[in-house]
Amino acid sequence: MGLREAVGRFVFDGAVVGLGGQNIGRCAMATVHEIIRQGKRDLTLVGCNLSISMDLLVGADLVRRCEGGSGNLERFGSTFCWRRKVQSGEIEMEDFSHLGMVSRFLAGEMGLPFMPTKSLLGSDILVHKAPSTVKKYEIIENPWNPGEAVVLLPALNPDVSIIHVQKSDSMGNVIIGGFTTHEPEMVRASRNTIVTCEEIIESRQIRSDPERTTLPHIYISAVVHQPWGAHPTSTYRYYDFDAEHLRFYQECARAGGEQVKAYLDRFVFGSESFQDYLEKVGGKERLLQLEKAMKRLCASKGENP
Amino acid sequence: MTVGLTRSEHGSYDLDELMIIEAARHIRNGDVVMVGTGLPMVATTLAMKTHAPELVAVIESGPIDPVIMQTPISVSDPRAMHEAARLGSLREVLGCVLQRGLVDIGFIGGAQIDQFGNINSTVIGDYRSPKVRLPGSGGANDIACHARRLLIIVSHEKRRFPLKCDYVTSPGYLNGPGARQRAGLKVLTPTITVVTNLVVMETDAETGLFCVTKLMPGVDLDAVYGNTGFRPGVASALEEVAPPSDRDLETLREEVDPDGVYVKRGKSH
Repeated sequence: MGLREAVGRFVFDGAVVGLGGQNIGRCAMATVHEIIRQGKRDLTLVGCNLSISMDLLVGADLVRRCEGGSGNLERFGSTFCWRRKVQSGEIEMEDFSHLGMVSRFLAGEMGLPFMPTKSLLGSDILVHKAPSTVKKYEIIENPWNPGEAVVLLPALNPDVSIIHVQKSDSMGNVIIGGFTTHEPEMVRASRNTIVTCEEIIESRQIRSDPERTTLPHIYISAVVHQPWGAHPTSTYRYYDFDAEHLRFYQECARAGGEQVKAYLDRFVFGSESFQDYLEKVGGKERLLQLEKAMKRLCASKGENP
Repeated sequence: MTVGLTRSEHGSYDLDELMIIEAARHIRNGDVVMVGTGLPMVATTLAMKTHAPELVAVIESGPIDPVIMQTPISVSDPRAMHEAARLGSLREVLGCVLQRGLVDIGFIGGAQIDQFGNINSTVIGDYRSPKVRLPGSGGANDIACHARRLLIIVSHEKRRFPLKCDYVTSPGYLNGPGARQRAGLKVLTPTITVVTNLVVMETDAETGLFCVTKLMPGVDLDAVYGNTGFRPGVASALEEVAPPSDRDLETLREEVDPDGVYVKRGKSH
């Protein structure tokens, strides 16, 4: 299945979409571009850190609501489209902490209605809620320790999650390299998951060493081979983040309006596929620099990339 | 606004550098440190390269006990993943290490810190119609709930130290003594330390209020009061922050921040 078909099949208007990656690492950018080209709208985006993948969808006016622990690109600044629209009230943000969000996915992946946590207590995260949230949390008394408050958070089961990973076989047995952030819990909680990957490997390779499988195929709806699919964010052991392009995107996002539109027109709508986009951001020459930068990082520690 | 203390008043270093070095000193060799992005990452990298080579860094995206060679610019930076004991998940780090109670120091920044050590990283102004929407909690709420010691590093500006935060993202002593217990938090009397380019302040477990424990060289209490939206107490044994050693400065400038990303390089070096 190609990315076009996968997005057409599993992402729909009004869907709750789980976003993989974190900050400048392994965001599912190729899939996000395709969602924008297909104009899937009224989306609710969920995850822990919501980063450039979220900001691009917000900039394309396809988002109604976000639920997460944070929105930003760390050293590269705010997620400016998101910030602007939260400030103006055009989209709503439901705030949790990162542990709060992953606890919700944990409930979802285990088929439970909610998960307790001892975070959030006493903070304003429990005072405020987004306008369309019906019930954000409950506080109960620990049945085994009367008087002790415990927060319950509702399970979160996204309609579809999108992640970009290092390796998968063609049936969707996935190996994630480096940090896995909230992805294992989120994917197992999701009704469908679209995976893009740097490499498709043989199933027998996975099955000869199955304890390395991060997510088995039963959770995966579509696998698409898309090298560089996280650009401009990084993929551990494959390529570093593209600071130059991130800064360029941030300039457009900060300016807003016409500049966001121009960015989308040039890089997303003006590209048939992610391959076209990769040509526009510098093609092979630029990508090899990012690959080399990652190899240097791995080699400096005697790692085998 | 920050009190302008020029580099020349301190000879060979400036207070932004000493702020990082002083913050690093609060990490003991062997501490399990839950570290956030930015200056906390810089100071932790410095500590690891100087007096605390055995500190165990845990990073929310999943790395547990990595060897940090170059300062990572993000919790998802590949530079935070080398030779880790394990590259795990956010749930493992925030759940199975932090909430489980295994973190000695949580090390974060924040947009606003109030007199009780509450931290705001969510919004300036009203939550429903914000003046500026900030990133939000990230792991900061979790860290402030569960770490026994909380270390905060920020550059000292009056707007960063209001009497009361616009929004409490991460709990300090909330609205006073006993409030953490009433809220149901597990860590009742955390030690909250703020290191700025003017001062080191620590919360008093009895009152929950900040107390000045150390002043940066050349800084007096009036400068602190003038740049702080509340009146912190003063420790009976008020000290001056020790000047940096040559090794600290060299390591910071040449290894931790060689490109001057975190501390702008001035004329004096």
